[in-house]
Amino acid sequence: MRRNRCTWLIVAAALALPSSAVAQTQGRGGAAPPATPRQAAPVDLAGQWVAVISEDWRWRMITPSKGDFPSIPLNLKAQELAEAWDPAKDEAAGEQCKAYGAPGVMRGPTRLRITWLDDSTLKLETDYGMQTRLFRFGAASTPAGPRTWQGVSRAEWVVTGGGRGGRRFGYLRTVTTNLRPGYLRKNGVPYSASTVVTEQWDVHAQPNGSRYLVITNIVDDPVYLQSPWITALHFTAEQDGNKWDPTPCDARF
Amino acid sequence: MGSNAMRRAVLGFGLWASGFGLLLAAVPAAAQTELTGTYMPVMHEDYIERGPGSFLGDFTGMPLTDEGRAKALLYTSNLPSLYERQCLAQSAGVFQYRPVAMRVWKEFDPDGRVLAWVIGGDYLRGDIRIWMDGRPRPSVNAQHTEGGFATGVWEGDTLTARLTHLKTAWIRRGVGIPASDFTTITMHLTRRGELLTITTVQEDPYYLTEPHVVSRIYQLNPRGTDGTRQACNTANEIPTLEDTGEVPHYFPGRNPEEDYMVRTFNVPKEAAMGYAETLYPEYRKKLKGLYLPPAACSERTPGYCCGWIERQGLPGGAPNLTCNDGGFAELGPRGRRRTSDR
Repeated sequence: MRRNRCTWLIVAAALALPSSAVAQTQGRGGAAPPATPRQAAPVDLAGQWVAVISEDWRWRMITPSKGDFPSIPLNLKAQELAEAWDPAKDEAAGEQCKAYGAPGVMRGPTRLRITWLDDSTLKLETDYGMQTRLFRFGAASTPAGPRTWQGVSRAEWVVTGGGRGGRRFGYLRTVTTNLRPGYLRKNGVPYSASTVVTEQWDVHAQPNGSRYLVITNIVDDPVYLQSPWITALHFTAEQDGNKWDPTPCDARF
Repeated sequence: MGSNAMRRAVLGFGLWASGFGLLLAAVPAAAQTELTGTYMPVMHEDYIERGPGSFLGDFTGMPLTDEGRAKALLYTSNLPSLYERQCLAQSAGVFQYRPVAMRVWKEFDPDGRVLAWVIGGDYLRGDIRIWMDGRPRPSVNAQHTEGGFATGVWEGDTLTARLTHLKTAWIRRGVGIPASDFTTITMHLTRRGELLTITTVQEDPYYLTEPHVVSRIYQLNPRGTDGTRQACNTANEIPTLEDTGEVPHYFPGRNPEEDYMVRTFNVPKEAAMGYAETLYPEYRKKLKGLYLPPAACSERTPGYCCGWIERQGLPGGAPNLTCNDGGFAELGPRGRRRTSDR
């Protein structure tokens, strides 16, 4: 009987060893858990990315006509607002950036520059409209202040596998709230202050070494949408920042 | 069984179970996700291409070679109406452009290990069978099929597959954008909750100047009621062509729809014709000051310009705008409202 118990203990110990290594990489305990979200990152999002406008070209690369808004599950109220779109009015009100809020700018023809602002805050900049989004991890979340185009974003890493000295897998999950009302599309398709944007950020490496950033993007607006607007956006990594071209918000083009 | 024996059995099972569970957690393969199910496409992007079909001459968002462009411009939508072409399967990647459901399931080897994941086709696309057993890729001269040959590997919770040995087919349906039998597709499938994100990176040495990337969302249908259509029946779609031996096409330079996007949406010709430079933000510099949107939705932009199309075949009309919506406006949300206001 003693031998049986010893056998169980040895087996259990052997099985437990690799799991603790995983737990360490996942920041769930162990001798040396990652000290900061920056260290714990299972995927490297830092660098410059460029949008590949291979979908919805006519609605993303150029400003479509007033009233041209297929694909978005708008309710009647939203359709009426979109049909009343007046860029001159936005310009007069100093609201040229209405199409550059977090729910809209990510589908724009933009480059993204992602860097670590500090060990627990990822910074995302767009050259299209010169916007900045901040993704704050854990307890570093910012108290809600005035609503802004980019709102307040909470972030967390989700580890999905790997470790033990090998490649690790995971993704970034962000939730953005406290948004200033703006446009989902340049031609006045509205979103409200109640909008919540949930994003999952994945990086897919290709056999030739290129990398794509794919963002599963869920825009939920109980005021103007019949159902959440769910899309996937893709960007490709650039080797340098040569093509970074900051351009201010434009209410018309 | 005495109480001590019972305790030992429980302890032993507990140790085994926890150890086994921890072992699973430690192995990268354990990160794989259950993909089995029926999925509906969430058509919140590229609605036109995926629903009613592209406008003729609309190659926006495509990085075509001159050869690919020339071949696409030979296309007429009468071509697939020929008897012998009505049931031809399309490209393995064309499901990214179709409005119908797909099924995903797994197949096992005799030892119960997952041998392959399968993306189920319908009568217009072959099954994509993603082998998970590490089998070697066949000779380049091996048979090419609609679904091609695919091998897969889990990268965290993403299944990444590599497809080769595909047949010549159209990349987008209904507009003639071609892919050669040398085309390859890298596919990433990530399911989280009820949403499945699929990214395809298609390369083609003949017809694409750079990879064509598409990322889409699908939603699990827990009832599994949206089965794919397996049967394809032919019918005489164009009686005047029957028994004539004619193959509908346009001669080079004679496609009357080559300028459709230019005259309808003011889209620059090079963008409509699918030049890679038009896919990137810097192309906007060329457009600034030159592009003007059409004044408004109108009969100039028939069919799908005006507003949210409530669902396939039942477009909702937009108020104060004249849309060619096939007479379905009364069935859309605005039509119903107008009816109720009377």
